[in-house]
Amino acid sequence: MGYLIVSGGVSIVGAIVALLCSKAEMTAKVVGCLFGIVSTVTAIIGGFVAIFGQPEIVSLTSWFAFAPFSLRLNPLDGLILVVINVLGLAGFIYGLSYFDDYKGKGIGAIGFFLNLFMMSMNFVITVDNAFWLLVFFEMMSLTSYFLVTIAQNEQSRHGGYMYFVMAHVGFFLIMIAFFIMASVTGSFDFQAYRETDFGPVLSSLIFLLGFFGFGCKAGMFPVHSWLPQAHPEAPSNVSSLMSGGMVKIGIFGTLLVTLDLLQSCTVEVWWGIVVLLIGAASSVLGVAYALGEHDVKKLLAYHTVENIGIILLGIGTGLIGIALENPAVAALGMMAGLYHLINHAMFKGLLFLGAGSVLFATGTRNMDVLGGLIRKMPITSLCFLVGSLAITAIPPLNGFFSEWATYQAMFTAAGDTNWWIMIFMGFAIISLAITGALALTCFAKAYGITFLGSARSGLVEKAKEVDFPMTLPMICLAIICILLGVCAPWVEPFVMGIAGSVSGVYGAIAGAGVVVNPNFNTAISPLLAFILLIVMILLAYGLRGCFRKGGIAHDRDPWACGYEPDQQMPVEAFSFTAEVRMFFTPIYAGRDAILKLFAKFKDLFHGIQHVADKSQSWGDFAIWDPFKNFSAWLGHVCQRIESGNSRYYVAYIVAGLIVFLVIAVTV
Amino acid sequence: MDIAVAIVQTIIVILIAPFISGFSRKLRAKYHTRTGPPIWQDYIDIYKCLIREDVQTKDSSFIHRLMPPLYFGSMIVLCLGVPIMTRFCPIPVLGDIIFIIYLLALPRFFYTLSGLDSDNAYAGVGGIREMLISTLAEPAMILALLVAAIGTGSMNIGAMGEVIAGLGAHSPIGVIVAAIAFALACYVELGKLPYDVSEAEQELDEGPVQEYSGPSLAMLKVSLSMKQILIVSWWLAIFFPWGSALTGEFIPVVIGLFWWLVKIIVIFFAISIFENAVARVRYRNVGAQTWTMVGIAAIAFVLCIIGI
Repeated sequence: MGYLIVSGGVSIVGAIVALLCSKAEMTAKVVGCLFGIVSTVTAIIGGFVAIFGQPEIVSLTSWFAFAPFSLRLNPLDGLILVVINVLGLAGFIYGLSYFDDYKGKGIGAIGFFLNLFMMSMNFVITVDNAFWLLVFFEMMSLTSYFLVTIAQNEQSRHGGYMYFVMAHVGFFLIMIAFFIMASVTGSFDFQAYRETDFGPVLSSLIFLLGFFGFGCKAGMFPVHSWLPQAHPEAPSNVSSLMSGGMVKIGIFGTLLVTLDLLQSCTVEVWWGIVVLLIGAASSVLGVAYALGEHDVKKLLAYHTVENIGIILLGIGTGLIGIALENPAVAALGMMAGLYHLINHAMFKGLLFLGAGSVLFATGTRNMDVLGGLIRKMPITSLCFLVGSLAITAIPPLNGFFSEWATYQAMFTAAGDTNWWIMIFMGFAIISLAITGALALTCFAKAYGITFLGSARSGLVEKAKEVDFPMTLPMICLAIICILLGVCAPWVEPFVMGIAGSVSGVYGAIAGAGVVVNPNFNTAISPLLAFILLIVMILLAYGLRGCFRKGGIAHDRDPWACGYEPDQQMPVEAFSFTAEVRMFFTPIYAGRDAILKLFAKFKDLFHGIQHVADKSQSWGDFAIWDPFKNFSAWLGHVCQRIESGNSRYYVAYIVAGLIVFLVIAVTV
Repeated sequence: MDIAVAIVQTIIVILIAPFISGFSRKLRAKYHTRTGPPIWQDYIDIYKCLIREDVQTKDSSFIHRLMPPLYFGSMIVLCLGVPIMTRFCPIPVLGDIIFIIYLLALPRFFYTLSGLDSDNAYAGVGGIREMLISTLAEPAMILALLVAAIGTGSMNIGAMGEVIAGLGAHSPIGVIVAAIAFALACYVELGKLPYDVSEAEQELDEGPVQEYSGPSLAMLKVSLSMKQILIVSWWLAIFFPWGSALTGEFIPVVIGLFWWLVKIIVIFFAISIFENAVARVRYRNVGAQTWTMVGIAAIAFVLCIIGI
């Protein structure tokens, strides 16, 4: 617990100092990043202590009598703390070189908001009181809003506005959920909610409000459109933190509300099915829309939507398992969801840092004018390749292991439960299969068009490899991705333990370097696969190297059927998009229809605004204007008395005197 | 776990791969009423490639150099796990169906990347089409495998083959329909006419393969042929395992090898009859055909739910 408070304190001090140094931008940058590094390292240590230690709750009185400041640290909190702060650490080290791009845009302000953002995320995860959670949630939204709009151009302002609105829609839904719980128990403390049984109707309502409220933060399907507009606009290390870290708070919040706060209520099956269906929709639609983008960061943001869908598939399966009291399904589902949460943070952070390096070196995010960067930026392209292999779930990297675990959970649920669950599971399994295949296509495009081939414009000529502060975090995250995949049999028991602490169900599936699914009599060994692949590929390389008689040439033109090859011939990003649109038209048609519907809503909104404007003056028109007109008319009439001719005034005086004399005599 | 069997079967598949592709070539010539090249022509072609120059385009990178050994290495790893001569997986941890499907994605990813890397327009288009064809075939494959997994209670290829060989599957009609759907999806993956869209010789001049030459081309040709053999072996191991060895002893394994060769040759003969009777599918229509295959797999799924 102490580590957490120290980390928070260092963040606040760092924020203030960075703001005070705003004039000296380089100093502000170094100060902000150094304080951030210390704070994140402390929080990571605190997170690991929480994962391996005993859960604890500490309650301090605050100046609000109805809301004591309680902090809670259990293994799930520790996991999310570690994940977010590892990305924060990578982002701060990266920023030592990357923020040079923001000279003149307020590096001091970036340092201030970024440190407060980290602190507020740490506390959203760990406070045990509804009021304080809402306070820190709001602080998190506000600080990240300012970071999104830091570039101060039209696009970032629009993205920031969308983000602001959706963050507050989420806040509103969460607030209603907490107020319902507070009105039943009479307190804002989570400990009180854990012990209360709200009954089936209220608990379902709280689940839906909490899920959709935190889902607005996670960027799941119906409420995802802000994510690709807001995340790309922020500085790239902040994008990696938001896409890899902050959306996890959405998932964490769902788990908090459903499994922690509603502990005394029964979990219903349809809750799990709702989560599963939204996960399936998010994953397919996210990747389909990603294929249409040629802005690298927007593509990565849509992939966040897809991966949140995959996490929700795992968690939905786990909830179904808990509801049906099937321990195998529950344990596997929760473990798969949490493992994919960790993996997604790592590879998405890596990919965003890579995209940031490309942006720093070339000045553009548009894939269509890049190409051939692999020769100019070898380290970045290698790290981006590792990230692409991880996100497309290619064995033996980490993405493959968590998708394998998700498949195992869904297959076990399909085989082990009733027939109508089987139908939903079949649908979910097909969605995951389509998602995986489309993600492969999308990253072949993203990596190939950006880094391979020949340069498509002069921007590539002047690019050069980025500095050490930017390559170090990328290399470290790439190594973490490889390790999380290859060493999965040794990491998995810890994640299963954390999942078990959340769901109450444990299942042992790893041992002796192998991960087993006993329900389906199958096992994989990522380490063996890794070793075999490396050995066989090296053997093949050596075998080919034995045949050097003909020589190797590296200087030919590509074959163009006898024509002189020119700049227009190689494929571009749109080639991928056109083909996918041809085969998956219904998905895109859906989005076009929804956009038209939204346009109609926007028109309706404008119409209502117009009517409100007009009716605002109705009160004036109907009530006050007659009074005003009457008093004006009265004034006009009275004005005629003051004609300006002094003889009339003398006559008024004489008339007045006669009236008073008459009154005096008769009364 | 039988490492000796795994190594022997890998070497056999590598040695047989050019024979199978030469066999298909000879049959095509016969259907065109030509004499055609000898059956051993592909071995001679590989020898000729090995002594020629290895040419890369001037803007290509290490990805282009890396792709043939990576493809070959991945095929070897897959060979080690697929049951060919035996009913069980020689190395069970390499026999999980999800692992195999996703391991096939590794060489495919680099195949597409090398198409983009060589800066060749046809190679790029071929690479994109390779990705999309497999995207369209995958749902049918996974749904068929889901039915087989639920029916046999296992997701390991060898274990599935054992249950089906013993006629002990839960929903037999569902598993049979799933076998048909899986065969159709595998046929799309094989890249034979009518689905050879990524290496459409007349349209795309062999796609990403065209920018390879010399030893790289030899390795790539062998790897592509190995992939076809492995996909057919995969179907055989799950849905038609009769004849393979039940133990790792020498005599049953040799008998298993003999029956596998017979099955492979019969299947490739049937495939070559079909592929020489049709023209390449119009690319636009592949979607409709693969969704039909998903429909067949969905029928299998419904039968499995009902429990027939």
